[in-house]
Amino acid sequence: MRKSAFVFGYGRRGSSFAKGLKTDDYHLYIVENREEEYEKAKSDGYIDVVYLDVTKDEELESLPMSNQSYIICVMEDEHLNVFLTLSLRALFPHATIVAISDSIHVTQKLKMAGASKVIDLYQVSANRIHNILRKPVATKLLDSFISNDYAISFREIEIPLGSCLDGVMANDIDFSSHGVLLLGMIDVELSHKFIFITSGIQHKLDEGDTIVCIGYNEDLDRFEAKIKEIKEGQQQ
Amino acid sequence: MISELIVKIAFWLNGSVRYKQIKTFFFNVLENSDYTYKKYLDSLMIFLILTSVGILVYEVRNPVPQWMDTYDIYIVSFIFLVEYLLRFWVHDDLHKVIIREYEQARFLHKPFLLRVPFAEVCKSKIKYVISPSAIIDMLAILPAYRPLRILRIFVLFRVFKLLRYTKSINQFVDVLATKRFELFTLLFLLLFITFTAGIAIYVFEETKNPNITTLFDAFYWSLVTISTVGYGDISPVTQEGKAVSMFIIVSGIAMISFVTSVIVSAFSEKLDELKENRIIEDINRNKDFIIICGYGQMTKMFLRQEIDGHNDYVIIDKNTERVKQAIKDGYKAINEDASRHDVISKFNVDYANITVLSLTNSDIENIYIALNAKSLSRKIKVIARATDEKMKKKFELAGVDYVLLPNNVANMMLLTSINQPVMYNGIHAILTGRNVAHIDEVSVFEYGDLVNKKIGDIDFKSYKILFIGIQRGLEGEFVFNPSKETVLQEEDILLLMGLRISIEYFKENYVRSHL
Repeated sequence: MRKSAFVFGYGRRGSSFAKGLKTDDYHLYIVENREEEYEKAKSDGYIDVVYLDVTKDEELESLPMSNQSYIICVMEDEHLNVFLTLSLRALFPHATIVAISDSIHVTQKLKMAGASKVIDLYQVSANRIHNILRKPVATKLLDSFISNDYAISFREIEIPLGSCLDGVMANDIDFSSHGVLLLGMIDVELSHKFIFITSGIQHKLDEGDTIVCIGYNEDLDRFEAKIKEIKEGQQQ
Repeated sequence: MISELIVKIAFWLNGSVRYKQIKTFFFNVLENSDYTYKKYLDSLMIFLILTSVGILVYEVRNPVPQWMDTYDIYIVSFIFLVEYLLRFWVHDDLHKVIIREYEQARFLHKPFLLRVPFAEVCKSKIKYVISPSAIIDMLAILPAYRPLRILRIFVLFRVFKLLRYTKSINQFVDVLATKRFELFTLLFLLLFITFTAGIAIYVFEETKNPNITTLFDAFYWSLVTISTVGYGDISPVTQEGKAVSMFIIVSGIAMISFVTSVIVSAFSEKLDELKENRIIEDINRNKDFIIICGYGQMTKMFLRQEIDGHNDYVIIDKNTERVKQAIKDGYKAINEDASRHDVISKFNVDYANITVLSLTNSDIENIYIALNAKSLSRKIKVIARATDEKMKKKFELAGVDYVLLPNNVANMMLLTSINQPVMYNGIHAILTGRNVAHIDEVSVFEYGDLVNKKIGDIDFKSYKILFIGIQRGLEGEFVFNPSKETVLQEEDILLLMGLRISIEYFKENYVRSHL
């Protein structure tokens, strides 16, 4: 089942956020309390656009929201944003509520209001400057992972049953000849935590584990295909 | 014949890189206050001066041991002499003038006369020799000359040499110079009153007062009285003389308070500027530093994360209130307009690696600051903040090295956290420098043993390091996962990931084997 994501506010931030969200993974709802923005969201081609007064709990309850939903609070009015966060937290104690803030004080208020994650505009920007100054090469590379306009990216590949990687020690494999680097893995046996390859833990790959690789998209495609191909060969 | 030879030598000197290097080095060490190593020479000179004066004072009551005398008379004087000659030498370039004259003569088909350039250089050198600081330098060397040993007091001129090496005294003089007009007027008035009162007392009391016998005594009394010092060795005895005293005492008090207020106001006017100059001087001593333009939310955040004091920085804001706030918060701030050419050019643009962070909340201002910095030197790195995507292009046209879009950054984080949660954690760990996934950039240049090595020959695995790629030169391209045959070059930067200790160990190993 697809998870649902609710974006509250279709202002400058809300609209660019909605544009970036992968709609194949999420069912996107846009909620607005202003007529103009509501019309704009509709004309931008979004289907589930809801027009309601966000200060009223009854109206919020009418939304198809659950504790599994992603809620993104990006209203332009910061007072309203904090209030909304608080109301939503009261209604859905376990939902993931993410909010953007543009000052330290608002960040604190949003956290107190119950937001699961607050992204402080200035903090992340300041962080970024630090990274640019200290690790320019790494920052450039990591940037390219996130934005999709560069050929190098991350890829999560699940190891299928009978793959050539099944039962192999992670440290023994060298993917670099395939043009791919193994960054780490998520082991279902241990926990669902991400383990970096460089942590030095001897680790055996099993069926169902997810490996995270970086490389050029084409190489990653070929590599992924290769893992699956062998699996088919063994099955025959 | 001789002139031909001299022209040849001049051309040879002009072509010699070594000669130029040496001369530039001495020029920097002696005259360029932005030069990093100048402070060492300055400290040495101050030490020599102080010891020399110390010996002079000690000598008054105690016999001086031989070694001290030798040190004072020969070593110190010799160093001063060398310094004097070097300053004389770097003051201007004789060979350049000769070449210029020679080429002009060739161009105009007129005979080349050696005396023209020589006259020009002599003029400039003489101008240097008679400049106050050069005269002081000269006088400070004199005690070394034996027949002049009676003039031991010339050692005191060495104290004046301190002027050259201590900025604060120079600044004091500079500040007073701004009130030249007021001070001269007062001095003139002082002289006038002293003079008149002196003559008056001389006329009234020369016959009656045993203490006043000459006109000099009268002027001496007059000055001692007007300055409110009043030794009392000479005092008026007649009615008329007492009346004159009363008059000059009153005018003296008025004048002294006037002088004091002029000096105080000169300082209070210049105080901020002096402080700011001090900040700029301090920061200019660093090899790398950051100029942050604008003290807003983002700057505050940036500085708050700057806990380890990794970078040296200075804040520039044109808003007085914000600068006050910054100073109150304990940061180094200057109240200036960073978009002005003369503000940025005060910094050590030629020698230091400067990064300008343009973080004001106006795009127009940020672009202007960026252009201003870039116009001074392409070497200055500029990171600027822009409000939206459309502006980005303009910033890039202005030559900004990195355009920061706060909204985009936040959005990107938000999107990644939802779209690619696994990656988000990974990237977050990497960027915040968590221990397990420390990403580091190793410059091949610093680890000499890496130069000309094949990638296949370096066993990253044994260090438990993931080798991601190389950046070929600072402006070059990034090569992801290069082949094993790739040979490392000096300007390459390796991108490595691993535990902090693994990377430290790796670096240590290569440094050690290098040494």
